[in-house]
Parts: sequence; structure tokens; C-alpha cells
Amino acid sequence: MAFSFTYREVIKKPNPMVTINPLARGSNKTVGLQDRVDTLGKSAAWKKTIKDWVNQGLTFDMSRFPKVAMRKLGDLDIDEDIQRALDEKHCANKIANPAVFDPALLSVCYCILNSKGKFISIDTQHTVSTVAALIEAGLVPGHTDWREFEFPFHYIETDNLAFARKAFGIRNGKGQKRQSQYMQLRTSVYVVRIDKDLTDDEDVAMERKVAIAESHECFPIDETSNLSKYPGTFTNISTFKSLNDDEIDLACSWHNQYFHYENVHVSLFFIFRELCRQFKSAKLNITPKLQEELAALVQNLFGNLSQFQESVTAAHRQWTEKRYGYQANWDDDAYACALIQLYQHFGGKEKVAPSLTDQFDGLIEFFDEDIMSLAA
Amino acid sequence: MSYYLYLITSVGGRAGFGIAADYKERNKQYASHSGDIVKFSFIYQGQRSHAKALERTIKTQFADNIWVVDDWKTEWLISDVPMSKLQSYVEELINERHYKLELLTTDYDFTQGEVVNG
Repeated sequence: MAFSFTYREVIKKPNPMVTINPLARGSNKTVGLQDRVDTLGKSAAWKKTIKDWVNQGLTFDMSRFPKVAMRKLGDLDIDEDIQRALDEKHCANKIANPAVFDPALLSVCYCILNSKGKFISIDTQHTVSTVAALIEAGLVPGHTDWREFEFPFHYIETDNLAFARKAFGIRNGKGQKRQSQYMQLRTSVYVVRIDKDLTDDEDVAMERKVAIAESHECFPIDETSNLSKYPGTFTNISTFKSLNDDEIDLACSWHNQYFHYENVHVSLFFIFRELCRQFKSAKLNITPKLQEELAALVQNLFGNLSQFQESVTAAHRQWTEKRYGYQANWDDDAYACALIQLYQHFGGKEKVAPSLTDQFDGLIEFFDEDIMSLAA
Repeated sequence: MSYYLYLITSVGGRAGFGIAADYKERNKQYASHSGDIVKFSFIYQGQRSHAKALERTIKTQFADNIWVVDDWKTEWLISDVPMSKLQSYVEELINERHYKLELLTTDYDFTQGEVVNG
């Protein structure tokens, strides 16, 4: 039986991302705060919030506005019911790590000032503990007593410990806007490309991965970016990061050769990570012929990887129900296994890693009939 | 089993799009909600996965033309994008990307019943 499908070439058009990719270079642009105020003014969510303020008769309470002052570390107490126990390794290996320590990166001390004139820390105990201990160790020139050392305190005046407790929660995650995976990646790339700083191995490795993807016209973007309308863009940074250089190279080159007109679907990374690792273990190559036939299969049966994902997750649900009597959690390895099993079902003859056909045995029997009957 | 991608013209003249397994029933639902006969200007018939892939492409790569209301991305186009532009975009996608879809009929509403060979 000959392989059932033939890949039909799609004419490649110039991808605007090649010239507008924000990671290629910084924007060299700064904007005034007015730009952000204007952005909020146009936001539907913002307008609704303002309406809520007005309807509830709320106004900004200046008496609750925090103060910032230089105060002595000796004036600070740590409430053990509010803050976590000190993580000595965090102080030693993260903050005071000689490879990265820089006083300019220290946070201000977040605290409350109670009516007894005492400052109670509600966050950044690790920072102030580290600084005090560095003075104690004689490593801060001109200072011998940390109690007398003045540090920037950010505080509000209150005796309400419930506020302090909630503030600690907010400062440490609850209600905090976390830096996205993309923003972390962008920082690494900019440190290498713009600042030409190659001192951090992780930054260098991350920039190299991005460069490999870009060489195949695949571009990481932020989840909320309006660049998602362009082919080759992807947002699942954490999965991308989990691939090694060779895996990224093969995944992205396959995408660029056969599906250059599509956004990069996250299943691409799961598929090629698994294919590369299983084929490597089996000492087999993912041949150009196999790559093209897999593309032909996806193109003919599903149109794109997004639809492949929809079908394989539905099949996996039914497969687990039949096998175990309940709906088991999705397993990312099923992407590659299903693809290879479909490949063999439709007459693919290239050698494949046997582990991919053993795992999820019989999964493709649960693909929709209208897909399984589509052999040309 | 066939699946359908339809391009719809609203009572007010706005262009929109969608997919359905039963185009007659779907057209009837639009009539029920809008209180008027609504036309599917074009209906394409073909493979379900390809109809869905094409619809997704409209949503992502035709994004600048999508009508967004209160941050909600609808399946309608902004008012100054005519049906002809949407239709030529869809035709272009089908031809260039080899989606297995073909034009079934034009200017359809449910009162016409099932399209022969549909």
C-alpha cells in the first residue's frame, strides 16, 4: 500500500514579521505617561471600572497614600505571623550571589508604621536581612553597625495587622501582575542583543534558541500581542523553552517549509520534542521523506496542526474512557504517537521509533470516521 | 459527512462568517434571532477539519477586519469591509492553501430548503 497523501506546495509570501520582529532589535522608543493614560481611556474594561467608582461614590483616599523615607534598619521588626520564615538559601544564592549582586537592584523595604513608632516589615525581609548581614560581615565600606544603616522604607501608617497580612499576599503573588514568560524571554534576548552582555549563561542560551527559531521565520510573541495575525508567530514560550537547540531547529524548519502560512501551533513543539527524543533513542533519523509525508498527512487530513490537536485530544478522551473506564488527563506525548500511528495506518513506510507505536496503542481507532476515511 | 463554511450578510448589511454541520438549521436560527430572513451570501461545502481550519485563519490572520465590541471578538466584520473582500479572501485561502472546500451555493436562506447535492 502506497502512502495515501501528497503534500501540495503553498506559495510562500514575504512574512512581515521578518522586518517588524520586536525581538530583532529594541524599539528605541520611549513614550510619556500620557500614552498609557490614553490607552486606558480607550479600554472598555477601564471605562467600566471608572463607572463603578463613580456609581459607588469612590475617590482616591490620600490619607492611605504610602510614604517613602530613609530609615534605620534597626527600626524594623519582622512579624513572623505575616512574613514567611527566612529562606537562607534565597539570601545566599539569589540576592547575595556574587555573580549577580548589585545594590542598584535591591527593592525598597515594604512596611507599616504603627502608632508606637515601630516599623513592621510586610515584605522584602530577605533583602533587608541580606543587607544587614553583609554589613555584619564587614562588606559594606563605611558601615559597621547595620542598625544605624539607612534604607529606603515604603510604608503607610496603620495599626491594622490585617492590612499588613493582605499586603504581604498582594506583594507576593495574590493580585500581582506576574511577568509573562514572553517578557522574561525578551529580557534575556535584549540583554544579549542590545546590551551585548554575555555574562549570564541562561540569557545566552535563550537568545540562541530564539535565533534558531527566527532563522526559520518563527517568532515568539506575547500572548496579548496584535502580531498574532502574522504567520510564524507563537505564544507558548514555556513549551518552546523546553526544547533543546536541535529540536527547535527541526520543528521550526519543518513549520517553515510546509506550514509557513500558519501561526505556529503549540503542538508543533510537543510533536518534535517527542519525535526527536524517541528517534534518537532508537538511533533512527527523521528523514526528509518522513518529514514531508507527515506534512502531507497533516495538510490533507486536518488542514493544520490546530485541527490535528482538536482531533487527537477528542480521540484521546475516548481512548482513555474505553481503556480505563474514565476520562484520564491529557498527555502531551499523545501528539507524536498519534501522528506516527496515523502515518503507518495510511501506508507510511519510513522507519519510525517503535516506542511511538506501542504507546497509546489503538489511539487512532478513536479518530472520527470522516477523517479515517479520507485516504486519497 | 460534509461540513459548511458560510459567509453571511446581516439584515443591516454587515458581513460575517461561521461554520455549521447543518446550514439550513443555522440559517433559520439567524432568522429567529434577527426577526427577518437572513442571507448566507456564500456557502462552501467540504471536509470538516478544513472548514474549521479556514474559519480559524479568518479569526487570526484577518483580525484587523474583525468587529470587536467591548473586547469581544465577534464573527462579524467591521462595517466598512464589504462581503466581496471577505469572499475573495476565503477564495484565496481555499485556492492557495488547498483546503478541501468548494462553493455549494450563493444567496441562500432556509426557505429554499436543502440545496440539491448539498
